[in-house]
Amino acid sequence: MKFLYIDPLECTGCRICEMVCSFHWEKVLNPRKSRLRVMRVEAGLDMVIACRNCAKPKCMEVCPENAIRKVESTGLVVVDEKKCTGCTACIEACPFGAIYMHPDKNVAIKCVLCGTCVKYCPVGTLRIISPEELAQYNTARYIKKIKATFLEDLKIPEDAKREGDP
Amino acid sequence: MEFKGGYAGKILWINLSEKRIKKEPLPKDLAYNYLGGLGFVSRILFDLIKPKIDPLSPENVLAFATGPLTGTLFPQASRYIVAAKSPLTDIWGSAHSAGFWGPELKFAGYDMIIIRGRAEKPVYIWINDDYVEILDASHLWGLNVLETEDIIRRDHGDNKIRVACIGPAGEKLVRFAAVMNDKCRAAARSGMGTVMGSKNLKAIAVRGSKDIKIADPNRYLKIIKEFQQRMLNNPFTPSRIKYGTNNLIELMQEIGRLPTYNMKQGVFEEYHKISGEYIRTHYLIKPRACFACVQRCGRHTAVPEGPYAYVGGGPEFEGLSALGSRCGVSHTEAVLYANHLCNLYGMDVISCGATISWAMECYEKGIITERDTGGLALKWGDPELLVKLVKMIAFREGFGNLLAEGSWRAARKIGHGAEKYVMHVKKQEIAGQEPRAQKSMGLASATAARGADHLYAFPVLDEVGFNEEIKRRFGEQYLPEMADRLNPKYKGIMVAECENFAAVVESVGVCKYGTMIPPEFYYEDIALALEITVGFKFTSTELRKIGERIVNLNRAFNAREGVTRKDDTLPERFLKEPAPKGPAKGQIVELNQMLDEYYIHREWDLKNGLPTKKKLEELNLSDVVGQLERIGILLQ
Repeated sequence: MKFLYIDPLECTGCRICEMVCSFHWEKVLNPRKSRLRVMRVEAGLDMVIACRNCAKPKCMEVCPENAIRKVESTGLVVVDEKKCTGCTACIEACPFGAIYMHPDKNVAIKCVLCGTCVKYCPVGTLRIISPEELAQYNTARYIKKIKATFLEDLKIPEDAKREGDP
Repeated sequence: MEFKGGYAGKILWINLSEKRIKKEPLPKDLAYNYLGGLGFVSRILFDLIKPKIDPLSPENVLAFATGPLTGTLFPQASRYIVAAKSPLTDIWGSAHSAGFWGPELKFAGYDMIIIRGRAEKPVYIWINDDYVEILDASHLWGLNVLETEDIIRRDHGDNKIRVACIGPAGEKLVRFAAVMNDKCRAAARSGMGTVMGSKNLKAIAVRGSKDIKIADPNRYLKIIKEFQQRMLNNPFTPSRIKYGTNNLIELMQEIGRLPTYNMKQGVFEEYHKISGEYIRTHYLIKPRACFACVQRCGRHTAVPEGPYAYVGGGPEFEGLSALGSRCGVSHTEAVLYANHLCNLYGMDVISCGATISWAMECYEKGIITERDTGGLALKWGDPELLVKLVKMIAFREGFGNLLAEGSWRAARKIGHGAEKYVMHVKKQEIAGQEPRAQKSMGLASATAARGADHLYAFPVLDEVGFNEEIKRRFGEQYLPEMADRLNPKYKGIMVAECENFAAVVESVGVCKYGTMIPPEFYYEDIALALEITVGFKFTSTELRKIGERIVNLNRAFNAREGVTRKDDTLPERFLKEPAPKGPAKGQIVELNQMLDEYYIHREWDLKNGLPTKKKLEELNLSDVVGQLERIGILLQ
């Protein structure tokens, strides 16, 4: 299942995605009404936290009202606002802190991968990604790291060494 | 005119002596005539602060204000301003900062906080939406900025609380102490942290969960996207992302404007050791943005090991030049660490570095000796000495106690001609712009309301010759002279107009990067942003008039304190000694010529440099005329 992702070293922590999200859904700017949160962690990490649409969602398991379900065709975890009583069991259960209480409506809100925020990320690397793509991205990053070490021993022209570097 | 969004709509009044908290609706005419931010505090403090009071007495009033765009999605809409009478300059004092504190104050439901009186013992203010409380801060007193923020967050169990606080320098009333927010962002200049310290106010912690409404939700995101795209496409943005402001070291070296050895010269032989490229390749972890910023000039850096190890925010160009070239220090890690210490202790890097470099020149000239310094040899370029002095100033230890008074006061105590080497205007140290290499910056420092200051006008259109922008903002008839940084012609007009626009920028709550440099957004863009956010329908001319009103009001504040044309001057060094080397070799600042042009363009009296009665009345400031006349200041 896909989810929202940005490399915490690339994210600048500007919170534009958070505000765009709040505006997209609520037509006001209010971080508490956003379906995602930007978290600054020392030293040097900025994280976008949003629902990962787990394969076995704990929020769904604990919901006493059966207000949370997983849409089979898309894998998306969704909250039925009509059924939700605002008991916060899902908030307690989510290991990422990626489901929130709406401050006025008192129902659970979460990211449903509408993708609006992605268009406004000034770094341009916030994206909706699948686990397979994330693994590939991390592999590429790992190879880049070890490449530098290996290249020192290779007798090739300097220009070739630089090619493809970030 | 109604406001349909943007503003929170409330002012928070806090009297620390009487422990009284009061909330009042934001007056509509205040918003309409003064916009917010600098405009709000200029009006309110002119009315509340009596002339000639001691800035460190409970009578001083400290105001924090956001603008209507603060906390919105306009690019770089992250700013707040803090203002009071300055203990460094004894005139108008204000400083602004970005980060996340200002937006959070809006989310908590306030446009402005006005703080009066003095708490009996250390306190901090806790704002959680409607819940406002004055809390004991005895456990925070003495802690540095990082510790203060961490402990407040821990105590309230919420790590998204935003904190504006002072460090030990503010507590010890170092005259150039800063208000620090989000750990490494500084509202640094003119000693606003000192005023906070004098009120026994350690911090203001804020958490908010309210809406900022938007006047025109249908058009909003589309127009914001266009603004963001323009900013990202600006040719200056890639270097901003790559170097922050640090590569200004290289640029300023190139035009001979890099303050070196207490501004004796504008070029530094070892500039590359403190350059943007050197810092990026050796110490940068990543760029970090303030709220809603697409440019991300903020640096997150680390020195991984050794005596100067740290990890944290900064540096900016000003820190690098003030603590580096200005003191002749090329030891990169020591400069970075000294900058970090200024953040930890809550001090203005500019005044701190400038005061140290003044002492170094006096030591070189034999005016300050080891008898004064307690045995310290104040040699140019000594990295250990730099770090040691920063600590001594923050805690007012030994010789640091004298330097903590700022270079102007310290020179008066030392005597023996030490005053001659103070690089100040109206008692505040000149920032990192060698004025002989850019005449407009000299004039800007001379006329700025809070004493020597590059930001009050921020005239950068001539820095690297923004000819197209000069054509757009002023008209083709001013070219090529206005774009020539060594030519004094038209600089009076440029500085005056930049001051007007900068006042609007500081009032609406957006950053000067993107408005002043690079000059992407101008009045018409601010007007459009206000229209879709607030519902205001201002023309560019009307906005300009608000800016002019604010500048005139700041001038009236200073006139009450005795400022006239004679104070709008520069140190002798820039007026009489030709620049000794570098690209600006042989240049002096033709200040009088530029000042005349400036006053004429402002329609101020040429003799005393004060606004005329006619001007103030035209700007709807008739009450100000009356106030000035009542205390015997006669206007033309």
